[in-house]
Amino acid sequence: MARYAMVIDLDRCTGCRACMEACKVENNTPQAHFWMYVFRFEEGEYPNTRVWFMPRPCMHCDNAPCIKVCPVGARYKRPDGLVATDFDRCIGCRYCEVACPYGVNYFNWKKPERNHYIDWTDREAGAVLDPVTNGAVPPYKNPDLEKPYGPERRRIAGGGHLKGVIEKCTFCVHRVERGQQPACVANCPLYALHFGDLDDPGSRVSQLLRRRPHFRLLEEAGTQPRVYYLGGKPPGEESRQIEAVRARV
Amino acid sequence: MKISRRTFVKGAAAAGGAAVAGRVIPRGLETLVAAQRTTAPAVTEEWVPTTCWIGKQDCGMLARRINGRVVKLEGHPGNPLNRGTLCPKGVAQIIAVYDPHRVKAPLIRTNEKGIPGRWRQATWDEALDLVARRIREVRAKDPKLLVWQKGRSKGKAFYDEAFVKASGATKLHHGAFCSDAGYRACEYTVGMSGVLHPDFRHTRYLLAWGWNATNAGGNQLCWITWPQQLVAARERGLKVVVIDPRLRGAGPFADEWLPIRPGTDLALALALCHELIRQGTVDRDYLARYTNAPYLVAEDGFFLRVNGKEQVWDATQGTARPVDAPGVTPALEGAFTVGGRNVRTAFQVFREHVAQYTPEWAAEVCGVPAEAIRRVARELGEEARIGSSTVIDGVTLPYRPVAIMAYHVSQQELGFQAVRAMLMVMMLLGAVGAVGGQRVDVGGWSVHENFEKLDQIEIKDPPYNIYLKDSKYFPINSNNSAVVARVMLNPDKYGVKDRPEVLIVHMSNPLVAFASQPDLIESYKKFKFVAVIDPWLSETADYFADVVLPAATIEKYEGPSKASDQYVDGVALRLPAMKPLFQSRGDIDIYLDLCEKAGILYGKGGYLDHLNQALKLKAPYLLPLDRKPTVRSIFDRWARSEGISEGVAYFEKHGVKVKGPIPPEKAYGYATHPPFGGVRHRLYGEALLRYRQEMRQRGAAPLYWQDYTPLPTWRRPTMEESPARYDLYLISYKMIEFKQSRSSFIPLLAELAPKQRLDINPQAARQRGIRNGEEVWVESHNALTGETRRVRVPVHYTEAIRPDTVGLPHHYGLWSHPGVREQGPTANALYFTGEGYVANTADQSFHVKVRVYKGEER
Repeated sequence: MARYAMVIDLDRCTGCRACMEACKVENNTPQAHFWMYVFRFEEGEYPNTRVWFMPRPCMHCDNAPCIKVCPVGARYKRPDGLVATDFDRCIGCRYCEVACPYGVNYFNWKKPERNHYIDWTDREAGAVLDPVTNGAVPPYKNPDLEKPYGPERRRIAGGGHLKGVIEKCTFCVHRVERGQQPACVANCPLYALHFGDLDDPGSRVSQLLRRRPHFRLLEEAGTQPRVYYLGGKPPGEESRQIEAVRARV
Repeated sequence: MKISRRTFVKGAAAAGGAAVAGRVIPRGLETLVAAQRTTAPAVTEEWVPTTCWIGKQDCGMLARRINGRVVKLEGHPGNPLNRGTLCPKGVAQIIAVYDPHRVKAPLIRTNEKGIPGRWRQATWDEALDLVARRIREVRAKDPKLLVWQKGRSKGKAFYDEAFVKASGATKLHHGAFCSDAGYRACEYTVGMSGVLHPDFRHTRYLLAWGWNATNAGGNQLCWITWPQQLVAARERGLKVVVIDPRLRGAGPFADEWLPIRPGTDLALALALCHELIRQGTVDRDYLARYTNAPYLVAEDGFFLRVNGKEQVWDATQGTARPVDAPGVTPALEGAFTVGGRNVRTAFQVFREHVAQYTPEWAAEVCGVPAEAIRRVARELGEEARIGSSTVIDGVTLPYRPVAIMAYHVSQQELGFQAVRAMLMVMMLLGAVGAVGGQRVDVGGWSVHENFEKLDQIEIKDPPYNIYLKDSKYFPINSNNSAVVARVMLNPDKYGVKDRPEVLIVHMSNPLVAFASQPDLIESYKKFKFVAVIDPWLSETADYFADVVLPAATIEKYEGPSKASDQYVDGVALRLPAMKPLFQSRGDIDIYLDLCEKAGILYGKGGYLDHLNQALKLKAPYLLPLDRKPTVRSIFDRWARSEGISEGVAYFEKHGVKVKGPIPPEKAYGYATHPPFGGVRHRLYGEALLRYRQEMRQRGAAPLYWQDYTPLPTWRRPTMEESPARYDLYLISYKMIEFKQSRSSFIPLLAELAPKQRLDINPQAARQRGIRNGEEVWVESHNALTGETRRVRVPVHYTEAIRPDTVGLPHHYGLWSHPGVREQGPTANALYFTGEGYVANTADQSFHVKVRVYKGEER
């Protein structure tokens, strides 16, 4: 059984946010939901200014607060380490959203099919698009996301499923189970993101963690994240966010 | 009935409350749910290779197609440009492909121009007939009155070459808004067509000069390719010095930031030249053997010529000899007397010329500490390792691991000379064409025809053409569409007789993308007929198109596109992953039909004939000139001509053909046979002096000839003559989220950065009583005409910019797409063009003095 983790190399990240878009298209998250988010930071005063960037997915914590507070067992930890959300079971109480110190939970306030950027019900366009897309909303809807995954056979992949439930980064469970990398990792133009099995000493993530100093976010919170950062440093009080993406959650 | 959580809970009340929280129920539910999902529908999954449509360099993509529906675009792992990855635009373009607001059918305008358009849909036949008729009419008068304006050409052979040649149209491009001042400088100086980039695999010290590494391209290539090489080089210990008024572009990759005053890059480069000479870190061998540095210059500033031959001072023989005399040992420095004339070597002239450009002097001009300039010069001198060599693929070559990355920084008033001076820094170090050193053309070291052409320009008498080619105004001329706009509004002033009548705009949105917007809008009113080829109703089309022809995006064959990252060469094609949506058509299809209807498709000199040449088709695959081919068959002939026996089917399967590593003989100037293509690099620009004198003689104003100097010479940019209250410099920049002015309506991208903003240093903002996020007026001033322009925009505090500088990104200022809601103005509404705001090569300047204020005070 694998023990998955993600390693993020801050010395390589250019803050392009391609990972945010790759996640979004792969997982069909609705407007304002950014499971992968990239912070753009500025520190210091002119001319001693510093600019750096930090991608932040769900931490898939080993000691996850979100799992403890879920009243219905919708949020659970898989043996491979992924923290999953069964969207059939979720009742939308949002306790996980409150409990998570990383702020990675997103609540579907709207019907997702009406929250995908464009009014896809436009009739004139629909006449042409529907035969091509089979009426899928959004047109790039990923058919892998409706299926159940894992030996537990739960529906835990992708976003934009139901109004009134919470969704978050799944480490692209639907891809991982096929032997692929999460979409953000696979797409990163600078190869700043890595994903793999910590129990395999030859895996990229194991090698990187052996060779380079690393840290995790909010170590003091005791959440035991499965996301490790190489290079750079944790953001502190001196780090100001610039160019924030406004999530209308 | 499908049992969901909700339906179960509705029915569970009877089962008892205790069961709700428990784990007992799920097992039963799962069994029921699992039972419902035993039969899965058959799924066909295909991965279709294609190339990105949205950006500059056609990164390789794979389209994931499930049951005929494209669900995602991913990077093609085999393409050297992007190696399996995509930038945010590439990832997001899928929503643009399916955009219901694409132009769905050819549109014909029903109202007047200069205001938002009202349209009626037409058939392709009607629309193409209309455009073809106008082409025929204007060609019968004079083909030059037909103007073809491109933005991004995704198929040079088909559009820029075959169509332009077959129609005889006047071709306008985007280079003057891009980096062409740099191209002209490098073409003239070393014969390479490009600006400046490093041999990344071996560079150890890089001057990132105005390079927006985290958001934009760099020399010639687009994003992804350069940052990949930068980051790999950093892991090998590359040191990066950032020279830029703004740090944001360099991100975390700056070891040092020299926050230079906008418009003073020439001064800094001259000071670096000064220091390198003063410290003696100069590659004398390179200068003496491969440049015109040893040529003897007479007092009139021209080379001493004997029997038409340039002369050098033979140090051994103590006499002047022809430069190509056998066994000659030229002196690099010195003043001599030859035949009663006082002469100096060009290098001597240069050395004396830069004596005034001390680091202290530059510190005043550039706002960069003298100590830092001195230190960088020292580091350059050390890191260059002058005299050392190394072996690459068995070839021993000079090793000079220092270089500059520069591209769009060339587009400023002094840009031509600034890039010349930057190149001269690298020439002094002997880094040009060396291992780890300065490169110019990603394609390799082959001498461009402009090396001779730019040296032998004959300035003609008027009448001049619409972009003033070979004129006394811009002898070296990058062809600037904004200058064209000025000329169209006042042709008599420039000695232009005929105003063009018909305009075809292809993949371009000049009204937003080009500076300056007001001039362009006014000039477009003068065109009698405008056809726009575009997948969307661009702002240019909205205001001025008579006909809009909807082009497809990725749903077409197009190319061929170069897939070279400077180390590995390849070629790719765009292939359709789906049929064109709505009634859009591939651009090449459009041109074939248009040419047929305009009577220029067939026969000798027709579109097909020129296409044979442009695509370098070989027998037996040449296109017959008497029948219209399918687009796919053209690419099949091209592929076979390239020696790919499977033809276009190869690309339909693989997407990209990797030709292999570029050998040192092609990549390094020193390794070509003969070295540097056998040309002498022009440290001294004699022709520039000749043009200067002739321009003066013909009565051109100083403004046009003052920067035609044989050696780069500092002067205060014209914008500095604006009144003191215009106390800020406006610069502009690109964002990684968007591409030119054709993307900020795309919802997935717009979500990341929905609004325009003005970058301002908090100190500067507070001095003016402006809070972060507050809306302000930004007002620009034309130092020559006194005209002012202003826009309203919210500010964005950042410590990563000089206090005397504000920055606006491009990409905004759209209004046409329904998805765009008050995103804010384009920077091009503030920039001026023409005198004082273009370079001596007609290249556009993206600098202007502005003031920033709240409220209505003026």
